[in-house]
Amino acid sequence: MILPGDEGKAFELEMPAKAKYVGLARLLAGSIARRMRFTEESIDDLKIAISEMCTNAIVHTGNGKEGKAPVLVRFLAGDGFLTIEVRDQGPGFHPSRVLDQESNDLLSKGFGIPLIKSLVDVFECDSHPQGGTTVSITKYLDGENGET
Amino acid sequence: MDNEEREGAELDIVLESIGGFSLIGLSGEVDVYSAPKLRETIKDLVDDGKYNIVVDLEKVAFLDSTGLGVLVGGLKRVKHHDGELGIICKQEKILRIFRITGLTKVFPIYSSRDELLANVEEA
Repeated sequence: MILPGDEGKAFELEMPAKAKYVGLARLLAGSIARRMRFTEESIDDLKIAISEMCTNAIVHTGNGKEGKAPVLVRFLAGDGFLTIEVRDQGPGFHPSRVLDQESNDLLSKGFGIPLIKSLVDVFECDSHPQGGTTVSITKYLDGENGET
Repeated sequence: MDNEEREGAELDIVLESIGGFSLIGLSGEVDVYSAPKLRETIKDLVDDGKYNIVVDLEKVAFLDSTGLGVLVGGLKRVKHHDGELGIICKQEKILRIFRITGLTKVFPIYSSRDELLANVEEA
């Protein structure tokens, strides 16, 4: 639904693992979501989610240190949903560390992951020690079809 | 500010004094790129002996968890000196983030500068 005839097509942004590019990813997410006719509230949710995902990826990839691998952001504009995947080549970790993170950990472990989970319909994390991390979110246009 | 610095999220900071508070007026976006500027501003105020701070978010277009973390860090700094750090904001999209993270219970939140002043007068 991104443009007639291009439903289900993916868009990719490869960006240096530097903080100054998070705004660019946010801008792109907002533009795609707006074109897909998400509500302004959902667009705000997606912009926060991608900001959190890219921030984590950049921090885990050395935050601007020279010679670090880029962060890959992939947008899949489907029929009634938008999936955003952020992949880094950082050191990785056990995914249960973030998948199990509950809101009562906020002040000690940070707000990012619980915030993403509360703003999107599907949250997935795939990470392997020394193998990088891929975090994926999906938001549905009607906001009711996904898991929470 | 050179071109390199302008590539990320822009955040303008204006300092004022209001009702015995040091007011930090923000306009722009608070994210991982711009948040250090806010962190330094709060740190400088506390180092300068100003422990009652209020941050005006009314002109903030975007705030994520990095910005929240800086505000929580600032709150811890002023609490260490028996001070307080309040928020001025009535933008629903920003207040929602405070509610989701439970921070409405942590920060005094005022809907306007007038409400802050009225609160100071009552105290």
